[in-house]
Amino acid sequence: MRGRLWAVACAALFALGACTNDPYPDADASLAIFYSTFEEPPKTLDPQVAYSVNDHAVIGNVYDTLLQYHYLKRPYVLIPGLLEEIPAARALPGGRVAYTLRLREDLLFHEDPCFELSAPGARTRPVRAADVAFAFERIGDPAVGSPVLETLVKISGMRAFGDALAKRREADASFAAQRIDRQYAEVGGIAGVRVLSERELELVLDEPYPQIRFWLAMPFTTPVAWEAVARYDGREGRDLFAEHPVGTGPFRLTRYEKRARIVMEREPLWYGARHPGPPGTVYPREGEPQDAARGYLDAARVGRPLPFLDRVELRREKEDISAFTKFLQGYYDISGIPKESFDHFVHEGGLSPEMAKSGMRLAKAVGPDVYYLGFNMDDPVVGTPAKERGRKLRQAMSLVIDVAEFSRLFMNGRGIPAQSPLPPGIFGYDPDYRNPFRQVDKPRAERLLHEAGYPGGVDPATGRALRLHFDTPATDTRSLLTFQFWVNAWRSIGLDVEIAATSYNQFQDKVRRGAFQIFQFGWVADYPDPENFLFLLWSGMARSKNGGPNTANFQNARYDALFEKMKARDDDPERMRLIREMRSILEEDCPWIELFHSEGYALYHVWVDAPKPAGMAFAVDKYRMLDPAERARLRVAWNRPIRWPAYAFAAAAGLALIPGIRTWLRERA
Amino acid sequence: MLAYLVRRLAWGVVTVQGVLLFLFVLFFLLATPDDIARKAVGEKAPQAVLDQWKQNHGYDKPRVWNPAAPADTMLFDHFRRMLSFDFGNSDADDTPIAERLRAGVGPSLAFTLPLFVLEIVFGVGLALFVAFFRDTAIDRTATVLAVLAMSVSTLLYIIGAQYVLGKLLRWFPISGFDPDPSVIARFLALPVIVGLLSGIGSDLRFYRTVFVEESGKDYVRTARAKGCGEGRIMGRHVLRNSLIPILTQVVVQIPFLFTGSLLLESFFGIPGLGSVTVDAINANDFSTLRTMVYIGSLLFVAGQIATDVSYTLADPRVRLG
Repeated sequence: MRGRLWAVACAALFALGACTNDPYPDADASLAIFYSTFEEPPKTLDPQVAYSVNDHAVIGNVYDTLLQYHYLKRPYVLIPGLLEEIPAARALPGGRVAYTLRLREDLLFHEDPCFELSAPGARTRPVRAADVAFAFERIGDPAVGSPVLETLVKISGMRAFGDALAKRREADASFAAQRIDRQYAEVGGIAGVRVLSERELELVLDEPYPQIRFWLAMPFTTPVAWEAVARYDGREGRDLFAEHPVGTGPFRLTRYEKRARIVMEREPLWYGARHPGPPGTVYPREGEPQDAARGYLDAARVGRPLPFLDRVELRREKEDISAFTKFLQGYYDISGIPKESFDHFVHEGGLSPEMAKSGMRLAKAVGPDVYYLGFNMDDPVVGTPAKERGRKLRQAMSLVIDVAEFSRLFMNGRGIPAQSPLPPGIFGYDPDYRNPFRQVDKPRAERLLHEAGYPGGVDPATGRALRLHFDTPATDTRSLLTFQFWVNAWRSIGLDVEIAATSYNQFQDKVRRGAFQIFQFGWVADYPDPENFLFLLWSGMARSKNGGPNTANFQNARYDALFEKMKARDDDPERMRLIREMRSILEEDCPWIELFHSEGYALYHVWVDAPKPAGMAFAVDKYRMLDPAERARLRVAWNRPIRWPAYAFAAAAGLALIPGIRTWLRERA
Repeated sequence: MLAYLVRRLAWGVVTVQGVLLFLFVLFFLLATPDDIARKAVGEKAPQAVLDQWKQNHGYDKPRVWNPAAPADTMLFDHFRRMLSFDFGNSDADDTPIAERLRAGVGPSLAFTLPLFVLEIVFGVGLALFVAFFRDTAIDRTATVLAVLAMSVSTLLYIIGAQYVLGKLLRWFPISGFDPDPSVIARFLALPVIVGLLSGIGSDLRFYRTVFVEESGKDYVRTARAKGCGEGRIMGRHVLRNSLIPILTQVVVQIPFLFTGSLLLESFFGIPGLGSVTVDAINANDFSTLRTMVYIGSLLFVAGQIATDVSYTLADPRVRLG
């Protein structure tokens, strides 16, 4: 018995000796693995459906896009991806335009058993123009539920294709049971998507839409193998296509436990691995003028084949603090900064000296977004029907909103105060522009309110403070607290604004019926073009008329005319002039109170080359570089376990048990 | 006994039906399919995509009554699916729920099984030890410590253990999970320790009370009078005769080993069924959530019946009927 007790004690001490907080297998220490985290699992990896940042963190690595963004140049510049060159628009009769997309030669899909459907024993096959057409057909297929269908109906025959497909499926069950590519072929495909040859495809649009090129740089239009969609149908134990991507990108998905861990490994079949040289397959040789000084163009990287990493490993962390602690221990290479620790890490907009000493670096990136307070321009009090009175009321309300103070209180000072809908990095953004109604000026606000017929904020019709409603679908405490900040600002000029927080559906219903006055929204760009922001105030997108994202229901004939001209132009001085005129209309009419453009802060360890900040969510993992040897050395130095408390605890527990052991031994004697 | 079991099973069926009805009212009458759909398709998706999603998931049907086709309602679908164990696909990401259950059981058991065994070993062992020294300083100290341990929130144990054992002493990873046999133990150590600490107080109090009560009975006095050692009395006679209350505490927990722990799995990043439930709540994934609640109710009924049956195995004098 005593021998057994000793064995248990020895085993416990041995286990303690083996204790480590290292979450990774030892064998991985020498590999160039980029470790990062995700909080919410991806919803889908179907490129024609995926729309969230979490989805794109995987899809962007696994699928190459037809075009891509230059890694270093700003404003964002498109370069070829799977295509040989950026397609140019060709005018067709009837106002239509055509683009010819030409794929690079010798593109291959990642290896996958699904290709046995097309040839017995096949593990991969070349990417063809028909695969691009298949992707467009999937966007048009109502059963797929692509969120970009409404935008891409500009492609000739897109809508008709979806309607024909739905009709055939409803009328004929045997048609619906056929293989998906055969269904598409049987209804004749999309009229405006014509396969010209093995590598060439023609895209015809019903109207000029230069922004189509940006959609070609998004995963929605990436080629998809019909074999993958047909095989991975979720039946008889097979995966779903939305969980089993068969891509063309620099990494392949090797482990997809989406609620715990996502692993992507370098793909040897990737075009860039087999043909290094073309844009996007090697590290760029040029960027912005300051990039050389910032270290983005150092000789160790420039011109070298991509990707630099062996593996990208994302681990799920639901709690900020756990993730951040592991980052500080060296087990993650990058991290955001939890609100609670912000002041410890950031001093006056830079990294605190203590953290800078450890070699850590802080990177900031302004998001391609805008957050704003909007007025319902159909409303008789705050909107267009109130004419001059309404306009002055809106201007007065704008003049008391202090975004700098809001940012200090609620966002640790992060965020760029917005002067117009356009954020930095987007053509048309003017860093020197100051919207006169977005500067805090309470006396002027009170004057305007007086001129609007509400002296001191009092509505002469009732003799009491003018009562307005702030409608929101957010009911959580933090959101309500931020809304209270706006309400207090308006109260300071005598207005009585009530927060009406309802469920999402009730809010949507109010918006549909036009029964709302003031709201707060945000917009994150799909692509870096001013059209993607300024259309939010175009009457063609008015929520009340067309159910579009112009929730303010702003309608201004001059603005609309300028928008139509602006959206069809390339970036040139005339386009800038149009944008300036649109901006001045918005400034005067004030349908929005622009708040801020978000600003993301990220911390990097000394062994990681911080990537160039990119507000647009495009895949940058192939450009990342790190030094695994330095990481391994520092991890060991930072994480030596402190064992003496365990020995002390074991001794104390042993002492506590001594009376019992003595009694037991006495009885046995 | 058979008649008793049939009766208990029948009541179990009624209970489960009641739970199903309650779930339907809660998830599909008080909430609307539009809420679920919007969360699933995202804010930017147009109405047509939302409508298609509702159609794909059967949320476009009449909710309770459809005079044209009485079986073509959400209520009928709800009962049919649950009773036939055809749980369908997740509202959040369309993955088969059965697949999520299969994937989640392993990680849950990997953490709940050792915790369950250690809880019994430490709970019963320490309680025997304390009961052995009843009315001494050891007993009083242990009781005070047990009450203190019971009074501390599990959250505090979690944060404290992560900070002290994970961050300061660097013994274990602060969170995470890896089924790789070479590293799994280091991930499970911290949640098991926290589970043990947060449960040991109430276990110790309960088992001690049982043992102290049992050790005051006549047969124990007789054993002492016959010269039987105190260690033997506690380890052999008292422990065996205390099995009924121990089983009451223990057997009912066994079915729930499969469903894991909401709090611990969530904080320690264990992708078990507790985590699945929390994710479902956060994502408005009602189809997964109702499945988890339904399975929970089935396990509860099964645990109750198993406890009753275990009495007859532990004590032949017990007759069910």
